[in-house]
Amino acid sequence: MKLNLRGVNRYAAAIITDNILKNGVQNLQLILKEDSEEVRRVAEKHHMEYSPRETEKGLVVNISPQGIEEIDVTGETCPGPVIIVGDRLSSMEPGMRIKIKSESSDVIDDLALSAPEMKAEVIEKSASHLILEKTDVSREREFTGKDKVLVVQSNGTGNAERAYATFIFSKAALSMGKDVTIFLLMDGVSIARKGGAAAVKHPAFPRLDELMAEVIEMGVKIYVCEMSAQFRGLREDNMVEGCKIAGAATFITLLSDPSYAVVNF
Amino acid sequence: MDYRKISEELKELLENGGQPVAVRLVKNEEISGEKLEKKRHCEFIQDARLRGACGYATADEHLCRGGAAVLGLCRVPPQVADGSLYHKLGNYSTLEAAAETVEAVPAVKGEYHASVYAPLEEADFEPDAVVFILKPAQALRLSQAYLHDRGGRISGDYSGIQSLCADAVAAVRERGIPNMTMGCNGSRKYAGIRPEELAVGVPASDLEGIVEALRKFREKWG
Repeated sequence: MKLNLRGVNRYAAAIITDNILKNGVQNLQLILKEDSEEVRRVAEKHHMEYSPRETEKGLVVNISPQGIEEIDVTGETCPGPVIIVGDRLSSMEPGMRIKIKSESSDVIDDLALSAPEMKAEVIEKSASHLILEKTDVSREREFTGKDKVLVVQSNGTGNAERAYATFIFSKAALSMGKDVTIFLLMDGVSIARKGGAAAVKHPAFPRLDELMAEVIEMGVKIYVCEMSAQFRGLREDNMVEGCKIAGAATFITLLSDPSYAVVNF
Repeated sequence: MDYRKISEELKELLENGGQPVAVRLVKNEEISGEKLEKKRHCEFIQDARLRGACGYATADEHLCRGGAAVLGLCRVPPQVADGSLYHKLGNYSTLEAAAETVEAVPAVKGEYHASVYAPLEEADFEPDAVVFILKPAQALRLSQAYLHDRGGRISGDYSGIQSLCADAVAAVRERGIPNMTMGCNGSRKYAGIRPEELAVGVPASDLEGIVEALRKFREKWG
């Protein structure tokens, strides 16, 4: 339950809070005029945690049994983390928060990027944890045309023509002022393996690894599908610098963004 | 819940406290009953209470746009939202004070198609709030009855504007707890809430407990 009590003095806010909690409400978010010892005491009386946060709207206070529910997705294989977190968020009320822990910063990045798609806002983020707050509505994107390009590469070094096309089209798009993101998945991840692209050379073009380094240098983001990488024994230590492991959540979030034109190679 | 029986008991135990009024906000597809003639929300409540009127009102039937807006039936008119209307009416010495008050007025979340009214004894729907127009001594008994099982205190959260709409219905629906309110200029002028009366909104789910407590009070206190 989410209530705006900014116009209510702290004594009345405490009485209202007490009566709501007596009704068995487990997760309550209040917007208060000021930090309130009275409301805090009411929360404690009901064995709940009072966690205040200053925001543009005012003091937002979350009152819930354990403060913030925690889930640890360490060791979960992609797309496990996004399914677990998505399921949990779907059953939460707006204003409720959840802390997600993982030993993989890639998983944290993945979940943070996709949070708006799951009707959640990132409240706090570190390399090993993320606090998300359920929001009322999905992020509304203003559609301003397809000014970005997502190149999806799933063939890898085994198909030189498609591998070259990935970077040549990216360069062309960059030269036209587009933002470019490459997502390598399935056999496409072979391009990200150290030495993988160096083995591919067309007589009329630079070596594939040089072309790849060039587009990275020009600002192209290259994501490598976590699950495909695991299938092929690809890890951070044997991957080309500038490539980043990402999960299904990142891929789906990019695909869902209407400002991206999607190209498949 | 047998609202007819509860209503009869409430009227008797509150010593002719008048007819409680059931109010519900509905989406398009849930609507039934007859459309009411154009009036204000507070008048719809008084008509149900005093004349047994039942029916629904969409935004078009609500003459008070501020009242309709806090019930989710339409957008808040700009002159209400920025406080200028109440400042102009003389309620506040500054526009800032008016704006601060308006910002704090409870409103339902979401959009609704209509508000539905019926005397509680006639209600064939689950009310979002049951509104009582009472004398202070009756409101005292009602408050004591609410606290009989749970203890604690009861809050009267009001500002003197948008009373029967925001305080007695929207706040009750959003919070799930009762609220006592003193009426406003509109509800006293147009709906005829008398000087010696005030309003209390109660969630329907609390009515059985309240009736039970009132019975005990009668046994103990006469």
